[in-house]
Amino acid sequence: MNITFKKSGDVEIAEIEGSIDSKTAPELQQSILNVIAATSKIILDMTKVGFVSSAGLRVLLMVYRQLKGKDGKIVLVGVSDEIKDVMFMTGFISFFEIEKSLDEALHKISA
Amino acid sequence: MWFIIPPLSKLMSTETQTFNAVVDELEPIRDFVTEKALAAGADNRKNYALCLAIDEIATNIMRYGYPLAGITDGKIDVTITTGENTLTIILEDSAVPFDPMHHMLPTDDDLNKPLEDRPIGGLGIMLAQQSVDELKYEYVNSKNRNIFIVNI
Repeated sequence: MNITFKKSGDVEIAEIEGSIDSKTAPELQQSILNVIAATSKIILDMTKVGFVSSAGLRVLLMVYRQLKGKDGKIVLVGVSDEIKDVMFMTGFISFFEIEKSLDEALHKISA
Repeated sequence: MWFIIPPLSKLMSTETQTFNAVVDELEPIRDFVTEKALAAGADNRKNYALCLAIDEIATNIMRYGYPLAGITDGKIDVTITTGENTLTIILEDSAVPFDPMHHMLPTDDDLNKPLEDRPIGGLGIMLAQQSVDELKYEYVNSKNRNIFIVNI
């Protein structure tokens, strides 16, 4: 798994590539939490994520909680149907905004 | 008189690979399963669900099963049998006995709670159970055997 951060105004964009499982989730969580310590708006671009297990959902949960605590916002981009299935089964889907493109996500998060 | 007997290999094929019970092996295990599942005719969605179920149970074995048994060099045998309409994957390990079918799962109430107050435990096992057509557990000869069956 690889994670690349870039900034657009006050929005952090994390582009994630690869699988989010029990091996990669701790590193992902740490790097996202580091970044959101200094910002309250983050977009997770998951276009290149092929696999998310419950370990990945746990990362989403931690990020969600951190941001909620400071009135922040998270938007997901490029979530595959299979990953949406997992989010649906666990009830996570209703708590996250999911957009098709980065442009739409930027629009949403800045609104 | 001629009898035409289809070769057994056409009806069923079985392959076993052994992996170290460490999280670095999760991806190789998924690769092994994916190769067999796609070859057997599973679509991407079915394959994903199967990989997810196996990933969750394998993670438990690596994270809890072997450490609780005090075993540091544990293995997981993954046996994949391709049948005519089914795919059967068996994970076998020598960690502490753990029956995922009798594990506390999140209740509907838990799943409807806002994310900020929601307990996270048991989510993986719930996903494992829901992602395959059948999940069975046996403890045989001091080994855990988790059996995943998907219809193709």
